[in-house]
Amino acid sequence: MEMLLMGLCMAFIGVAFTTIAFVAATRPMSSAPTVQPQLPVVKAATTAHFFSDNEAPSIPLRPLVPIEVLLQQIENHVRLEHAAAESFVAFPTQALLHSKTTSPFVN
Amino acid sequence: MVHELLKGLSSAEADQVLALGSRVAVPSGGSLFRLGDTADRLFLTERGRIRLTLPMLVRGREEDILIEEKSPGETVGWSALVPPYRFTLSATAPLETEVIALPREALCTYCEISPVVGYKIGLNLAVLVGQRLQLVQAMWLREMQRTVELQAASVGENR
Repeated sequence: MEMLLMGLCMAFIGVAFTTIAFVAATRPMSSAPTVQPQLPVVKAATTAHFFSDNEAPSIPLRPLVPIEVLLQQIENHVRLEHAAAESFVAFPTQALLHSKTTSPFVN
Repeated sequence: MVHELLKGLSSAEADQVLALGSRVAVPSGGSLFRLGDTADRLFLTERGRIRLTLPMLVRGREEDILIEEKSPGETVGWSALVPPYRFTLSATAPLETEVIALPREALCTYCEISPVVGYKIGLNLAVLVGQRLQLVQAMWLREMQRTVELQAASVGENR
């Protein structure tokens, strides 16, 4: 009889522990009060100078010239390239073919 | 004046060819032909200047970009002798200009009747076409070279 009671008690304790463990495991996460860690505030201005605060952007932006000026630059460029091509055709060498242009349109 | 298309012809032969055409006056800023127009006449520049242009989009606007400029003695519009007989450029006069317009049919008929003259005109035409090809080829290659250099530079910057 004692053995039977002891067995029942052990079984009851086992079931109790299993139930507690199951409830703990299946408890929804949202129910737990969470505390967000405080993130350091990043100022937007600091992203513009990622590498250094003192350096200007490496690619200088060309100011937008008026379209008449741009068209004149294109025309001058064509004339210079035409002259360079004529020099090459008159005396074909690799050096003349790849001679550097002074055209401000591409420099 | 010796027209480049008529080089090697005697003055009598040149006069006969020129008599096939008619003088056309183009006012300053006027158009001689537009890209895509039917090319049934060849033009010999007598006075002034002719700008040969192609359309290009510049900042969203279509602009005529100079390709070549022709002076007195030079030939304009040899598309009139090359199929499909459509102009592949536009021609305008930046100043008061005069040209001799030679109709294709009249010129071809004359060359058939006078094959020696036709041969000389054919050779002169080959020189014009060949020069244009060589010039444009060289200009194209120079632009390609620049594009390759720019690409190499941008790859180097991104590394």
